[in-house]
Amino acid sequence: MTAQVTLLLTLLLYTVVAVHASLRSLARSRILARWAHVAVVLAFALHTLSLGQRWAVAGHLPVVGLRDIATALAWVVVLVFLLVNAAARLEALGLAAFPVAFALTLVASLTSPSGRADPQLQSLYLPVHATFAVFGGGALFVAFVMGTLYLIQERELRTRAPSFFYYFAPSLERCDTLGGASAGVGLTLLTLAIVSGMLWSHAARGTYFSGSAKEWSAVSAWLIYVVLVVVRHRSGWGGRRTAVLAIAGFPVVLFVFAWLTWAMRFAPTTS
Amino acid sequence: MILIVGVSHRTAPLAVREALAFPSEQIPNHLKRLHEGTGLAEAMILSTCNRVELYASADGANAVDSLVSCLATSHEKSRAEIEDSLYRLAGDDAVRHAFRVTASLDSMVVGESQILGQVKEAYQIAESAGTLGSALSALRNRSLAAAKRVRTATAIGRNAVSVSHVAVELARKIYGDMRGRQVLLIGAGKMSEIAARQLVAGGAHATVVGGRRFERACELANALGGTAVPFETLGQELARADVVISGTGAPDIVVSRAEVERACATRRHRPLFLIDIAVPRDVDPTVRQLADVFLYDLDDLKAVAEANLRERQREAGEAEAIVEQSVRDYLDWQRSLDVVPVLVELRQRAEQIRRAEIERARKQLGPLTAQQEEAVERLTSAIVQKLLHAPSVQLRELAGHGHPAADASFLRRLLGL
Repeated sequence: MTAQVTLLLTLLLYTVVAVHASLRSLARSRILARWAHVAVVLAFALHTLSLGQRWAVAGHLPVVGLRDIATALAWVVVLVFLLVNAAARLEALGLAAFPVAFALTLVASLTSPSGRADPQLQSLYLPVHATFAVFGGGALFVAFVMGTLYLIQERELRTRAPSFFYYFAPSLERCDTLGGASAGVGLTLLTLAIVSGMLWSHAARGTYFSGSAKEWSAVSAWLIYVVLVVVRHRSGWGGRRTAVLAIAGFPVVLFVFAWLTWAMRFAPTTS
Repeated sequence: MILIVGVSHRTAPLAVREALAFPSEQIPNHLKRLHEGTGLAEAMILSTCNRVELYASADGANAVDSLVSCLATSHEKSRAEIEDSLYRLAGDDAVRHAFRVTASLDSMVVGESQILGQVKEAYQIAESAGTLGSALSALRNRSLAAAKRVRTATAIGRNAVSVSHVAVELARKIYGDMRGRQVLLIGAGKMSEIAARQLVAGGAHATVVGGRRFERACELANALGGTAVPFETLGQELARADVVISGTGAPDIVVSRAEVERACATRRHRPLFLIDIAVPRDVDPTVRQLADVFLYDLDDLKAVAEANLRERQREAGEAEAIVEQSVRDYLDWQRSLDVVPVLVELRQRAEQIRRAEIERARKQLGPLTAQQEEAVERLTSAIVQKLLHAPSVQLRELAGHGHPAADASFLRRLLGL
């Protein structure tokens, strides 16, 4: 079984899970419930296997090019969902996580892996920088979802006419705490990703900062999350403001990844 | 066969249900009388404010009549008087009804949790009165298990449907955990007390603002394990509080917009949840426009309660499916029991034949050694066991699915029993 076949199987299973998450939340149907639990575990296992297979073929951590980045991000999104759900049962996160995991895996399975053999990809900085970046992206995704749920739940409570989301979204406190914690973890990882990226850039090109759009947007995202964490730290309750910041920061983070895949080239060699 | 005779909120007005209710301390006597008077081996009485039902396990139409008579005479009524509001259920319908009642699907407020305890207690009473046999015990175990499954697998009982519970639920929707939260009570009404009690049980601390009669505030504060403060400190307390429950009898606004604005200035965006259950209202309705302030008055709470009820009814569909599956499992199992006596008889008959044949053979064979004796014994037993094994298993299964071939009288004829 090649990495591509494994990934297609993974995609199939994510389809089941994503459909279940949507049906469960939007139509209150549990028809797929029994299968969905098995599918999540199996999909994640296959997903991990396909990452391993890709790694073996590429000879370096498979985080280069659209296909590999999308696969890695989907994997982290599911992993983060599993961790958060195990710690604090949060079905609402699944509604966001699985469609995203499905979409990323779909994109990945439709593109062919980058076959670039660049000596810099053998650098030890690649796995370090990429791991920080991908996990940071996962944590900031959770912050984004919790921020969105916060605003939705706040709106429900303000209109005083509960609709579906009132029942579905967690309490404001839960959104705030979990969103704040995720943003904190995300910011730490983002910082480490930026620092390791700069060191890699210096090692490869002798310059820490080349002023590319990717680098600038990474720094802007970093600033947004710094403000978020500071605001939250000062008042103990982030509320609306941090929810909005968590939502605003995420597209900037996405841009970094999008730029990266669009350029199809990796950090130090691009400018 | 399970039989149920009774009245409920669906068939009878409160006046009738009241008149037919059994006080729980008298139920054992009624059960004994029912047992002695009619010979019903198994009986149970479920009497709540929304239903009075007599359960029994018996065969024949007479049994239903005895139950109706028992219900009428126990309350000194004629049968004609109660006939209109009565329902009589037997067999599968009765089983289904019992399961639905226990799972709170037949309740006035669908999904209310009290019924589960009431059903448990009713069976308990019947058990101590000695009128609970194998059939009703099985019905109890299976229906309670199904009800628990409904509770855990659906959200049928999750959303509050009374005003004070809705207030508590909303507080949880905002703050999540109530531990360490501050609840401020203005006025000492019954409804605020119920809500405050639950918040305190969740770990919140209560502060009661006293009015003209400060001693009442002190009493309530004591009951809630909190503190009482004079009305003059309201401003400071508002700044500290997370949940404010206001229910004074004052004719004017008690909590003004200016006061809430002042409190908010020091709260650093921490949400403030104001519950105004007073009529006329205590809290200036325009505070609703302030950021981080959530204000609910009595009408708002009622609207949420109604939405919750609709939500429960949506969940009820899911619950019905679970109950239906449990009912079917139970009925299959019940029917598979019908062939058990036939199978027992069949085995006894086979054993008789085996013994008789051994005796006959012995006469022809003459005296046997102990070893030979054992061999004959083993041989004949094995033949009987092996011949009967497959039909026994199959018949149980066919009976479980209600197959006509598993009919007991047909089988007796077929097998010559």
